[in-house]
Amino acid sequence: MREFRFERPGTVADAVRRPAPGTAFLAGGTTLVDLMKLEVMTPARVLDINRLPLRGIDQTRDGLRIGALERMRDVAAHDLVRRRYPMLAQALEASASGQLRNMASIGGNLLQRTRCGYFRDVSVPCNKRAPGSGCPAIEGENRMHAVLGASDACVATHPSDLAVALVALDATVRLRSRAGTRDVALRDFHLLPGTTPEREHDLRPGELVTDVIVPDLGWASRSVYVKIRDRQSYEFALASAAVAVRRDGDTIAEARVAVGGMGTRPWRLPAVEAALAGRPAAEASYTAAAEHATDGVRPLRHNAFKPALMRRTLVRALLELERIR
Amino acid sequence: MSVSPIGRETARVDGPLKVTGRAPYAADYHPDGLVHGHLVLATVGRGTLRAMDVTRAEAAPGVIAVYTPFQPVRLINTFQGFGAENYVPLQDTTVRFRGQIIGLVVAGTFEQARDAAALITADYAGTPPRTSLADAGPGRSQDIVQVLAPGVASIDDVLRAGPVTITTTVTQPAQHHVAMEPHATTATWEDDQLTVYSGAQMPQRSAPAIAAGLGIDPAKVRLICRYTGGGFGGRSPAWNEAKLCAAAARALGRPLKVVLSREQVFTTVGHRPAVRQTVRLAAQADGRLLALAHDSDAEYPAAGGWPLIPAQHTSGVLYRTPNLRLDQRLVTLDTPSTWAMRAPGEAPGSFALETALDELAARTGVDPVELRLRNYATQHPVEGRPFSSKHLDQCYRLGATRFGWDRRPARPRSRTDGDWLIGMGMSTAAYPTDREAATVRVRFHDNGRVSVASGTSDLGTGAWTVLAVAGADTLGLPVEVIVPELGDSALPPGGVGAVGSAVTANTMPAVRAAGRAAIGTLLRAAVENPRSPFHGLDPADVSYRQGRLHSGRRSMGFDELLRAIGTPALDAIGATDPAQDSPYAFHSFGAHFCEVRVHRLTAEIRVNRFTSVFDVGTVINARTARSQFIGGIIWGIGHALLEADPIEPDGRYAAATMADYLVPVNADIPDIDVHWLGYPDPHISESGARGLGELGTVASAAAVGNAVYNATGIRVHDLPITLDKLL
Repeated sequence: MREFRFERPGTVADAVRRPAPGTAFLAGGTTLVDLMKLEVMTPARVLDINRLPLRGIDQTRDGLRIGALERMRDVAAHDLVRRRYPMLAQALEASASGQLRNMASIGGNLLQRTRCGYFRDVSVPCNKRAPGSGCPAIEGENRMHAVLGASDACVATHPSDLAVALVALDATVRLRSRAGTRDVALRDFHLLPGTTPEREHDLRPGELVTDVIVPDLGWASRSVYVKIRDRQSYEFALASAAVAVRRDGDTIAEARVAVGGMGTRPWRLPAVEAALAGRPAAEASYTAAAEHATDGVRPLRHNAFKPALMRRTLVRALLELERIR
Repeated sequence: MSVSPIGRETARVDGPLKVTGRAPYAADYHPDGLVHGHLVLATVGRGTLRAMDVTRAEAAPGVIAVYTPFQPVRLINTFQGFGAENYVPLQDTTVRFRGQIIGLVVAGTFEQARDAAALITADYAGTPPRTSLADAGPGRSQDIVQVLAPGVASIDDVLRAGPVTITTTVTQPAQHHVAMEPHATTATWEDDQLTVYSGAQMPQRSAPAIAAGLGIDPAKVRLICRYTGGGFGGRSPAWNEAKLCAAAARALGRPLKVVLSREQVFTTVGHRPAVRQTVRLAAQADGRLLALAHDSDAEYPAAGGWPLIPAQHTSGVLYRTPNLRLDQRLVTLDTPSTWAMRAPGEAPGSFALETALDELAARTGVDPVELRLRNYATQHPVEGRPFSSKHLDQCYRLGATRFGWDRRPARPRSRTDGDWLIGMGMSTAAYPTDREAATVRVRFHDNGRVSVASGTSDLGTGAWTVLAVAGADTLGLPVEVIVPELGDSALPPGGVGAVGSAVTANTMPAVRAAGRAAIGTLLRAAVENPRSPFHGLDPADVSYRQGRLHSGRRSMGFDELLRAIGTPALDAIGATDPAQDSPYAFHSFGAHFCEVRVHRLTAEIRVNRFTSVFDVGTVINARTARSQFIGGIIWGIGHALLEADPIEPDGRYAAATMADYLVPVNADIPDIDVHWLGYPDPHISESGARGLGELGTVASAAAVGNAVYNATGIRVHDLPITLDKLL
């Protein structure tokens, strides 16, 4: 761990006042502290934001507002979240461990870094950690890596479960900087790696995530998050699916579909949503629609199973949704 | 009348200390003047160090010393053909594998040492390492074991002839012990006397090994490991990091502690070697074996390590067959040291054998339990000796009943529960046990306590409690009165190594011998000491029962006697002999039954149920025995479904963290039904107890794999069995 300056601003305005390079915000610390110990992240200045008033889960004009410092556990347990957006609660509860969920914040969850083993090991190259040094994952051990959205520079998967469910729900993040406040759709917030994998999100220097807004969507009360992994708990997704469906009798009127464990960012699947609309709510429709999930996939040596797993995960999630009364 | 605690549920005597954080482990000692060391590891797979730049590290805050091959601290290489590592660190510039120790930074705090170590850069002349077992050809044979029926020239002829033939090749990558306590050493010198605190399975062997590395008299080294957070083979030798810590402490003239980071543990200490095995069977149509051949090619590091023999105690023991051949080969690779890991040969070997048996059952249509009964061995297939006490047939039958084996569909992929495919599998476990020499000291104290001391170690598996139970049983006293002592090389020599599931079975009889001897000492003092109320009596007229001495109507507690004669304590040493040239073969046995479910769409594999029945002789402590069995079975589930550390062409382990190297979590483990038969072994020792610690690990992976086949119709030969192999 490198030496750093530690500050504890008392207000949001103080926290964003001096956007010096090499500044990191500390919330739950479950990613940052780990990566600092590994010297993957070496901030010169750490701003502890835990005293800032970025809390609360409440209904607003724009939808459900979740303060960025709310802990994963508290959001998952919140009555509004559980009733209106079960997929959110399920995504949170399928994440990490109880201890981590007690600590980790919602804002930090969206900004967590990839679990790519090369990124986390400073003895090997990594374009995300050390731009231009190369990507050993492309030819290396890449069973967990992305088949969607990857580039020649980076194939790392985005690890958040929560972000997958939020992308399906058209959530936005509210950002605060010296220049003011702006809202960004979560779908656009995470960036594709392209030639600059070190740039992971549309966050300007010194800008702070203050809230997550989930728009009202009545029929999201019938939604599921299905996570497929090698062990049953405390493990990242090989594939996951966040699915909500509005039914009109036995027909699917509308659907929201996003997948995790597949892409370099949380991956919304509009083609699958379109293919489901107007179809009977039945396994054959799901299987046919899931075919569209893997358009444009680029499998690597060890993750060639992922497209098939993604399609099957979608079918399973849609079937599980059917069973919810 | 006190009831013997043998076989009862005795809570761990060390439990309260551990759950309240008061049991000191190796890194919990803080001698005055302590400084901290952090290792620097090589980042190339093979080559030579040309130079290392340590200037920034030396200038970093708090740094006291930096040791490298270019500014070493002296260590002596004492490798003599067998042992873990065949080199000692920092004595040359050769890099033998990626992750080898190439430096040690010492600083005032752990964080200062760690952060300074990260500032060191190394310049290597590298050459490509050999890391792939798959790409390597057959290795060099160790002993070839062969038994041929009269008139058979080559086992290959029988294996070709059939009528039924099976060839099964299975592979598994490197596995790691991942003991909960990371390896750590605290070394402190007082003049020329060294005390080392370091987790050790054999404190009385590790201490002289460290002495030899330092070139000093073994009597000058004391190793203390009262509490050790898991061994499983990974703490049976003294690794280079412990020797280096002791040497640097000597050079610095102050106490030094070296704690490995979790990542460093993966390469600094040994792992279970990657291995490829082929089992070939020839059988009659009814499943009776005509020939069994088991070949293996196991990773063997150029830097030294454990020579894996997976067939010896599996295919070489389990079934009656007229023709048998075991060829266990080693393949030299440039990998970190390999070492014994929980049922070292038996866990991988049994997966190969018991998978092949399941394939034979499927081919012949004979039920897997029935197949094993048809090939039941009553004597050791190679040695010809009868087994000392074998009731494995009852394990099969009782296990099948408890589990509900009759509900298993013979046809794979024919039972479902909703979207889940259901399958059942079984397997046989066997583990060699023996009777080794052991020495124990029993000491009566005038405060009413009795200490029972052995130079063995407790890795967390229950030896503390076994000493207490054995002492209580021998002396007719409550368990609470017994004060066990272990984990210290300065205890009387002859402590059994905590290896090979040997501690309980071998220490028990020594406790009895020592207890009898100590009672003899007590009785002698009673009649010989003028201050004793028994003074002058004929020794035959004084007896010991349940902590009291009796003669006629006179009776007093041993503590009263000691106080009366003014002696704080009296003790005696008891020793037992090894079972040499026994007419019997000693093995423990068991049968595993497993039910899994596999999702029809996403192919996740979950274990629904597990039942195991064991035949291990007398069980000393039911509670810790059950924990051992359950832990072993969980280990087997991990072996089957999760554990893997792929090695890359440059020698880097791709999963050398606890986030990437998956072991089961609670959610992966169902209720495990464990039962044992309870027949004392009449030949092993007077206690009737055989070893059991590792038995649960043996073949439990095969039961899982066989259940996956029964559920899906897919046979996965490359471990671990992950869902992508079933899609």
